[in-house]
Amino acid sequence: MRLTKNVKQVIILLAFVFPAILFYFVFVLAPTFGGVWYSLTNWNGLNPTYNLVGFSNYIEALTDDPYFLDSIWFTLKYVIFMVVLANFIAILLAVLIETQKRGKVWFRTIFFMPNMISLIIGGFMWMFIFTKVLPYIAENTIFHFLDQSWIGDTRFSFYTILILSLWSGVGYLMVIYIAALQGVPQQMKEAAAIDGANGIQTFLNVTLPMIYPALTIGLFVTLNNSFKVFEAVYALTGGGPGRATQVIALNIYEEAFMMSSRYGYASAKAMILFMIVFIVTLIQLWIMKRREVEA
Amino acid sequence: MSNQGMNTGLIGRRAGSALIFLFLSIGTVLTLFPIYMGLLNSVKTQSEMLTSILSFPTDFQFANYSSAFIKINFMKSLWNTIQIAAVGLVGIIVFGSLAGYKLSRTKGKLSALLFGLFIFSTLIPFHSLMITLVKVTQELHIQGSIYGLGLIYIGLGVSLAIFLYHGFVKSIPNDLDEAAVIDGCGEFKLFYSVIVPLLHPVTATIAILNLLWIWNDFLLPLLILTDSDQYTLLLSTNMLFGEYSNDWSNILASLVLAMLPIITFYLFLQKYILNGIADGAVKG
Repeated sequence: MRLTKNVKQVIILLAFVFPAILFYFVFVLAPTFGGVWYSLTNWNGLNPTYNLVGFSNYIEALTDDPYFLDSIWFTLKYVIFMVVLANFIAILLAVLIETQKRGKVWFRTIFFMPNMISLIIGGFMWMFIFTKVLPYIAENTIFHFLDQSWIGDTRFSFYTILILSLWSGVGYLMVIYIAALQGVPQQMKEAAAIDGANGIQTFLNVTLPMIYPALTIGLFVTLNNSFKVFEAVYALTGGGPGRATQVIALNIYEEAFMMSSRYGYASAKAMILFMIVFIVTLIQLWIMKRREVEA
Repeated sequence: MSNQGMNTGLIGRRAGSALIFLFLSIGTVLTLFPIYMGLLNSVKTQSEMLTSILSFPTDFQFANYSSAFIKINFMKSLWNTIQIAAVGLVGIIVFGSLAGYKLSRTKGKLSALLFGLFIFSTLIPFHSLMITLVKVTQELHIQGSIYGLGLIYIGLGVSLAIFLYHGFVKSIPNDLDEAAVIDGCGEFKLFYSVIVPLLHPVTATIAILNLLWIWNDFLLPLLILTDSDQYTLLLSTNMLFGEYSNDWSNILASLVLAMLPIITFYLFLQKYILNGIADGAVKG
């Protein structure tokens, strides 16, 4: 009797979960594990037969593919800038907006708006700014320094990509931080003010510790998304000039679908990206756990 | 003495508040600048744009819009995007709520294992599975199909929905289920008539998060859709940009058209959207 009840429960559970599992298996799990398998082969997409080649794809990607290695370093640089700047600006905006009374809703609405627009559309708009508007301003006003090759010059194109990404991404983080700030009790800030703390001291000693959970989320989101950056680069520079601004995701995309159709080799690069994201997540979870224990 | 101190404090605070307002206003201008420039120049002729890019248009050229409207096949692209999003959203919400509810209610190893399997996917970058995913869609003969694309979104999006439903169902008392079962309610009837109405707040969050994601997703449609008849708004705009890369008045008009639906949606529902974003991020 008991056994049949258990069996019945399992059947009901599976009935509820089955549709989700089906789609998840076909479109996520199978491609992921398939990717692991193909990364060990010399499959090239065109040829129906392929052979196992062990880890040689991985070795080639990490030792004999300067463009891929460059894309890793470029992505890493982008990640560091994004994590620091996006969160800093978002917290600054959130704190300042929370001090406002009437303008609050307006500021929040406008700063978040770019996040609603696809990075492809936003990227083309910024392209217009960088290739047409800024040169025009440089020519017709005193701001001559604006006349640069913002897209074509590698010294600047990193920053144009960064500006586009910040424009698009900061609003999202700001919303998270505003939600967290609204959870900080007003009395605590007032108590600190009565004790003679100024605005910055109150922020550092009272508010900031209260929004640590939100900060963890913000860092987590920016870290994960920045490693996967694709559209901002695709829309603005396409990875160029040459391959100077190529990021990991774009390198994988081009390897698989544009250049050589070396699917097996591109799969190995895809697994390296997976590994990087995985390790970063583990480190982050470990740090969070430690902080929780301390707190 | 103390009165004077209070006065300067008050003036200082007022001045500080004004400075903050000024700072935020400058930020607003910078944020809106590209959109404003796009709007402004989308109604100029190419030659007026080159000679006076910053000034207000002397003569509104709506011809840019009618030509962009045709070139990005606006109605068709919009309808394609809507259909893809609809298939994805319905699947994610229906299958996600079924699974999330039951996984949350069932104790035991199997349930925990399945839940863990779904959570595992949050670690997988899309770029790590896209190559084999394209192969899978070829095998299933759904490459080049907008409905097929909608189905893929179900697979990619269902995990987050399960996670959010799973957490939300914990806050619904189990007594409700038990009472319904005593009343002779079957499992699916219980779910449909008792649980689903209670899930509305989290369903709204999930709908908003997934709609924004699918609507603005670019790479997956680029990989799956082969025929320009099936293109989404983003793909059509991207194609136009590739073909007319220096005809900015046409491009800008098409950019404005392409972002019109989502911006309208945002301005009407911004309160719900911002709440959904905050909820989704904090619980996800």
